[in-house]
Amino acid sequence: MEHLIQVELTGLNRPTKVNREKTKMRRLVTQLAAAAACIAGTAGGALAEPVNISDFNLNPRIAAKIAAGEELNIYVSYPDVSNEFAPFVLEGVARADAMDGITATVIGPVGPDADLQIDQIETLLDTMDGLAIASVSTDALAPLLNRMIDEGIPVIAYNTDNPASKRLVFAGQDLVQSGREAGKLMGEVLGKGKVIITTLNAAAQWSLDREQGAREGLAAFPDIEVVSTLNTGTEPQEIYGAIENAMLANPDVTGILSLECCSTPAAGTWVERNDAKGRVHVVGFDLLDLTVDHIADGYIDATIDQDPERQGFEAVNLLAQFLHGETIDDIDTGVKIYTSANIDELK
Amino acid sequence: MDEQMAVKAAAGGAPSRMRRFRLGREFGVFVALVVLCVALTLLNDRFLTPTNLLNIGRQVSLMGIMAVGMTFVLVSGEVDLSVGSTYGLCGIAVGVLLVAGYPLALAIAAGLVLGAGIGLINGVLSTYLRVPSLIATLGTLSMVRGAALILTDGKPVTVNARNGVGEADLAMFEFLGQGKVLGIPMQLAFFIVIALAGWFLLSRTSFGFRIFAVGGSAKAARVSGINVASVKIWALTLMGTLAALAGTLSLAFLPSGQAGRMGLGLELDVIAATIVGGTTLAGGEGTILGTVLGVLIIGVLRNGLVLTGVSPFAQEFLIGLVIVVAVAIDKWSTSSKSN
Repeated sequence: MEHLIQVELTGLNRPTKVNREKTKMRRLVTQLAAAAACIAGTAGGALAEPVNISDFNLNPRIAAKIAAGEELNIYVSYPDVSNEFAPFVLEGVARADAMDGITATVIGPVGPDADLQIDQIETLLDTMDGLAIASVSTDALAPLLNRMIDEGIPVIAYNTDNPASKRLVFAGQDLVQSGREAGKLMGEVLGKGKVIITTLNAAAQWSLDREQGAREGLAAFPDIEVVSTLNTGTEPQEIYGAIENAMLANPDVTGILSLECCSTPAAGTWVERNDAKGRVHVVGFDLLDLTVDHIADGYIDATIDQDPERQGFEAVNLLAQFLHGETIDDIDTGVKIYTSANIDELK
Repeated sequence: MDEQMAVKAAAGGAPSRMRRFRLGREFGVFVALVVLCVALTLLNDRFLTPTNLLNIGRQVSLMGIMAVGMTFVLVSGEVDLSVGSTYGLCGIAVGVLLVAGYPLALAIAAGLVLGAGIGLINGVLSTYLRVPSLIATLGTLSMVRGAALILTDGKPVTVNARNGVGEADLAMFEFLGQGKVLGIPMQLAFFIVIALAGWFLLSRTSFGFRIFAVGGSAKAARVSGINVASVKIWALTLMGTLAALAGTLSLAFLPSGQAGRMGLGLELDVIAATIVGGTTLAGGEGTILGTVLGVLIIGVLRNGLVLTGVSPFAQEFLIGLVIVVAVAIDKWSTSSKSN
């Protein structure tokens, strides 16, 4: 690494292909980080008005607990507590649980089951002093969330917004915007060529939002064509097999844009196993172990982190602030881009 | 016995192997597979290439290894819904042990014993405790998946040098999942060996005979002196062991596993492939050859639909449709023959 930097700085030798790629990537990270900072700075408050408890018809049971200085029970409902992303969110909730006067409890179905998520919330409704929720399905959960708001139980959305409901605020990443960033990243890395988009669940709202953003981002690059959206399924072997088949069907594809945590490392593994480094470029999401390794080894060009730990923390913190009289507003956890140039920050 | 059969066959007194195959349930499945392959070859010039055929072989291998075990279970008149969870837990357990520094052989042996133990529990529940296997394994499906989540706290397990796995063990583990023997991917090699062993066990041994006898009529088998419970327990234990093997090979191929996803829903694919291959849910009927063909139909279909650019939503619909049509044709042809 030192050697490579020296070559670039002195300019005595012609830059190698690797050096050029690294330089290009560093420039890209700088540009996109600036863009992301802009988005993070402007997105807050765009989705909902700031809200204070004085404007809210708080449930008398909760009001009495606050007046008596009792511990407040905040529940954090995650749409699938068994998925890879959940442990990071749960770490943030655990951090918030350490705050005085708050007991934060994670609930949620194993597997994205809207009925089960609703059942759990209804079961605990009488003990809930606040709910932070990432909905399995916005439409399915909205009536229950609206009923809670009407009953004076504060509800906020985190990670995945529920704009169909009357939730107070949202803490998380703007999914369309993060998709746009991924599209721009792919465009910058690839320049021209054919791209497939991969997703665990092409029909899920988060996936549709990110795909919309990704396609918008890629639209700025007229020499890039999106060949198809590949629904990989959720089982790891199934994901890899789907990518393997799609790449065989489309040998002229030179870019794989993954919309989530789990087909990102699989795409990197495909590049590794098929000696496609430099020929097929991968841009994806999140920071699973294998994704980090593949970025360090150059099989994945870039990944977008959405700071899930902070999302988990803010889910509880926003409700705690609200219940203690502070005005709360949307929080955009932004996008952080990792490439081979900065992935060492994580090691 | 073989000599007698040969004499009878030569004299035309017994059906030849080819005639038996044509009359058998496998023939319809074989024809369906050939038709599917011809159609996909005509639709996409990349289908009938060595690379793609090896890809299909590898992609179906883990499902195939479990489908061999499922054939024993279904023929014995039981069903195992916990195989996907067993696959996930055992694969992850091997990974956890490797990351904890245990030697590869011990980690794999522990994984296989764990799988066998889950199968044994399923067997005891559905025989001695008389809980129908559909319900017993539905319960263990959830318990085993939960155990995997508890074991890992929901976090991914990644088997690599960075997590402290020894160089030699890592190289051997990767070879088991990613290596090749005579140009054949290791997963496929395992599937071939398991299928051959399964065929021999089911059709050429007294254990196989007892499996058919128990599945055909448990009462008649009991009267004949067969220990029905023992046979069923062995079938489910074999299933658990093969699910553990498949899970281990899965982690060896993609060295990062997560308890919530690994093997999720796989039980339905495994049962579907076995039934498409002609094994009945009622018990007493089924062959390993049919199961292999059923597994290949599912694998070729998945591969072909992606190659031909069918939309992801239509893919799900078509796979379901083919399963229903294949089983309907099989039922129709079976009832026609019996009439």
